[in-house]
Amino acid sequence: MSDEFQSPAADAPREFRHGLRDITPLSIGVAVYGLVFGLLAAGQGMGALSTGFMGALVFAGSAQIVAVERLAAGAGAVLAVIAGLALNLRILLMTASLRGELSGRPLWQIMLGVHLTSDENWILMHATRNKGQRAGYWYLVGGGTSLIAIWIVSTALGAAFARSLPDLAGSGMDFAFAAAFILLLTSLWKGRQSLQPWIISATIAAACALLLPLDPSWGLIVGAVSGAGFAGIQHDG
Amino acid sequence: MGEHLVVIVGLAFGTFAMRFGGYLLGARIPSSGPWARALQALPGCLIAALLAVILAQAGPAEWGAAVLSLAAALLSRSLPLTMLAGVSAVWLLRGLI
Repeated sequence: MSDEFQSPAADAPREFRHGLRDITPLSIGVAVYGLVFGLLAAGQGMGALSTGFMGALVFAGSAQIVAVERLAAGAGAVLAVIAGLALNLRILLMTASLRGELSGRPLWQIMLGVHLTSDENWILMHATRNKGQRAGYWYLVGGGTSLIAIWIVSTALGAAFARSLPDLAGSGMDFAFAAAFILLLTSLWKGRQSLQPWIISATIAAACALLLPLDPSWGLIVGAVSGAGFAGIQHDG
Repeated sequence: MGEHLVVIVGLAFGTFAMRFGGYLLGARIPSSGPWARALQALPGCLIAALLAVILAQAGPAEWGAAVLSLAAALLSRSLPLTMLAGVSAVWLLRGLI
């Protein structure tokens, strides 16, 4: 459909290289995040191989952290998966917005493109395009290739490195998740409209966790859905 | 080990289904309106709920460390520094309280 975003085939390698190059500062941030995730995964008894494998197949950092935290809290595998996937629903919105980049491509390119879509390269593609430069499907895939490679290597290294460290239990390492979530929350702040849904989510989740004889993971899912539902019917401004 | 496999495979299939489903639904989900607003707000709400559950089951040392982590997060905007601040604060406060 839109020719300006569908670069000719001859331009594909050049766009791929540009995507690969431009993502580098973001990849460095992802490497640090990956090392941290590897440490946390190793704390749950995951080895370097399965941690790297998880990174390649899932390729969604915050969802992986939330799922492993739920495992650490003893919630069980099914609730850990549900909590992680709930965090990934925003990816649905990102790939839904890729209509122009993906339409008319062969199935393997569509599957590759959606798997390599993450916050960083999706945002970078839009930012580059806003500057008036050409950045389409292959630019997104170039950025994603760098990100997934760095993510696999850094998470596996984190897990391998953790095994050579002394036992960290009792040193406050259990609070590392909470601190990571606090930073994640501040980066998700979108102004005052964020406040009410977050308060509703937190209140319902805490009340369920304290008052109901169920696993707290259910409380947090009920709380999150209530807050998001409120945000949906909330009027702007 | 079995539990890890369930989590890896479940997250892998679920995440890919969402990524591919987004492509399929692209034409149908409006880019604004109540559904889009709710989906956009969901990650933040989930993290807020998760923190509430963790802190509701914790004590004064963790609450103090959470306040210090928030300050570190706002000042540094860095994940490793925030985690370092949080872990050191909780270690110190648990020793004091």
